[in-house]
Amino acid sequence: MANIVRAASRRDVLKIGSLAGAGAMLGAPSGRAAPKALTLVHENSFIPAYDAYFKNTLAPAYEKAAGIKVNYELISVGSLQTRVTTVAETGAGPDITLIEFNWPYLFDEKLVDVSDIADEIGKQSGGWHDAIKEAVIVNGKWKAIPFGNIGQLMNWRTDWFAEQGYKTFPDTWDELLEAGTKLKKAGHPFGFELGHGFGDNHGWLYPLLWSYGAREVEPDGKTVAIDADETARAVDFCRKFFQQTMFEDVLGWTDPSNNKAFLAEQISCTNNAESILYVAMKDFPDIGKVMSQSLNPQGPKGRFHILNPWSHSIFTHTPDPQAAKDFLRWLMDPKQAGGWYDVAVSYYAPYLHAYDDAPFWQKEPRNLPYRESLATSHLPGWPAPISRAQSESVAKYVVVDMFAKACAGKSTKDVIADANAQLKQIYKSG
Amino acid sequence: MSAHSQSIASPAVRVRRAPSLRRWTEREAVFSWLMVTPPVLFLVALVGYPFCYGILLSLQDRPVARPGQFVGLANFVADWHDPVFWQVAQNTLVYTFAATILKAVGGLGLALVMNQEFRFKNLTRALMLLPFIVPTVLSTISWMWILDPAFSVINWFLIHTGIANPGPSWLGNPTLAMGSLIVVNTWRGLPFYAITLLAGLQTISPELYEAATIDGASALARFRYVTLPLLKPVIFIVTMFSVIFTFADFQLVYVLTRGGPANATHLFATYAFDVAMGGGQLGMGASIALAMLPPLALIIIAMSIYMKPAKS
Repeated sequence: MANIVRAASRRDVLKIGSLAGAGAMLGAPSGRAAPKALTLVHENSFIPAYDAYFKNTLAPAYEKAAGIKVNYELISVGSLQTRVTTVAETGAGPDITLIEFNWPYLFDEKLVDVSDIADEIGKQSGGWHDAIKEAVIVNGKWKAIPFGNIGQLMNWRTDWFAEQGYKTFPDTWDELLEAGTKLKKAGHPFGFELGHGFGDNHGWLYPLLWSYGAREVEPDGKTVAIDADETARAVDFCRKFFQQTMFEDVLGWTDPSNNKAFLAEQISCTNNAESILYVAMKDFPDIGKVMSQSLNPQGPKGRFHILNPWSHSIFTHTPDPQAAKDFLRWLMDPKQAGGWYDVAVSYYAPYLHAYDDAPFWQKEPRNLPYRESLATSHLPGWPAPISRAQSESVAKYVVVDMFAKACAGKSTKDVIADANAQLKQIYKSG
Repeated sequence: MSAHSQSIASPAVRVRRAPSLRRWTEREAVFSWLMVTPPVLFLVALVGYPFCYGILLSLQDRPVARPGQFVGLANFVADWHDPVFWQVAQNTLVYTFAATILKAVGGLGLALVMNQEFRFKNLTRALMLLPFIVPTVLSTISWMWILDPAFSVINWFLIHTGIANPGPSWLGNPTLAMGSLIVVNTWRGLPFYAITLLAGLQTISPELYEAATIDGASALARFRYVTLPLLKPVIFIVTMFSVIFTFADFQLVYVLTRGGPANATHLFATYAFDVAMGGGQLGMGASIALAMLPPLALIIIAMSIYMKPAKS
């Protein structure tokens, strides 16, 4: 869209909808034949109330306001990328999709440029957090409207840490290693995923790598930089951390494993999203009372977190892109988005500054570090810009397996050489 | 149609022509083609087209959602230099051979037992089929709990009987993880073997056994010289099916380990899926999937030569 149309809110859009020109421009119900239905595809939320809120509150509200029915298609966790791939490849199916990681880049040519409404929404709600921009801006164009971040933090048992003399969470990786060594001896090992899950492994291993000053690729997105002393130090640390605080099972863990182990009281610390605390408060209140969440520890070169964005993109095959934009514009109005964030109790940390002090943060103050972590969050592959090669590296678990193989006993030199060879091949074709 | 009806001058002619059309369609050469055409079209649409498209994809640099560029065999060359690819190839061969042998031996044993007369024979036969009937994803989730470090019933038993503490890490140790997957695959595939071989066993005429017994053949000799040769064609077919399904297995690995720990259980199908879907490299994913074809073809050809029943 060359013309950037700014409207304060959907209500204003509706008010001026009767004006033919503006109506045609803004996709208001009158003035042109608006589609009768839109379909939004989403991954099942860990918070059941979140999906229910859309179906029972937001969708009927939009139908009432604009006369457009919004279908909410749900996909099981971990399968959304397959669905988005099918839709993008066939050019048929849902109009709008939830989009994660660096997919705005992967599916770039099949996604509508939404810079205009991103700009409006940002202005309306206090501006966007800088962190999210690396995930949604492709070649200078916004290809998705960010919704919220599912951060990954340290989940830990306050009672068991206190038994070892820790009132607060250790601030550095070395201190955490020391605490974990004591806790494992006391029968409370740590459990951090080192297997082939889709999130909880990358969630702590990339931040660990970065906090030692290491990286897969230089910011130019071409020069592979994994073969460095910093990487070796991170790998050495990880091996020691695994041997002294964990047990062999973690090497084969997938994403639900650490949730189960934590709630079965088998581990005293893990790296996870807010889902453990959420389930604990609901179903295991005794555990819920004695756990907390903290920022990742810092390494010699700082403190980092994984960026895990949930955004919304419009497929180019939608018959009426403007109608889809209008819907997203309406959805991100604080009236709607605020309620949606609220029902998920900060599980999705908003990327808009207007929510920095929203009341839902106070509902569970233990979630506040998620807000704080945004400033130091990046996508896997950072500091290189988002690319296809980055996706391939994640799909091939290059970094995860580098650490996992070291933990299973391979030498630091060998695992780095393996990763280096793989990355060189991947980034050459990227 | 109208031209046709005009050319028919009288009802008498129509009466004479209709049987000739019928006779034409009833000629063996015509009738067989008529019968074969629909399934052939079906196969071309559902197997031939995806297969050819797969070959086309494998020769392209084809990122998801973008047009492809012909690159010849570059994807296969990249696979050749990818250490994970070779690990995946090795995993797949180990997985296929171990699981197929276990299934063949176990399935034959089970079929022989089921071929005996005993009480509740029909009920037992029905129960035996359960692992095969339950959807794989569901049964694999049960296995996930059985092998789960925190809740494993096996480890619970080992710990409470004082045999081991802590119990083995079924999915965390690379060797055990592969072993566990082979056991689960065997558990799932055994009934297929058993029921097919049982059907084969039941076609063997009891007279042959009687004759052999009169000639003084022992039970082992009867099995060796009567059962096995007559069962060979069935064993061949069922083994071929099993090899194909095991070689291309996806669900088990995807649910239990997703290829971990550190690629120790990645198979061709799961690796191809990760690269194509997760990595958005459809061309490279297709090349990995197609790489299954030559070894699979070799196995099938070797098997058909070795196991072909001698024509007499």
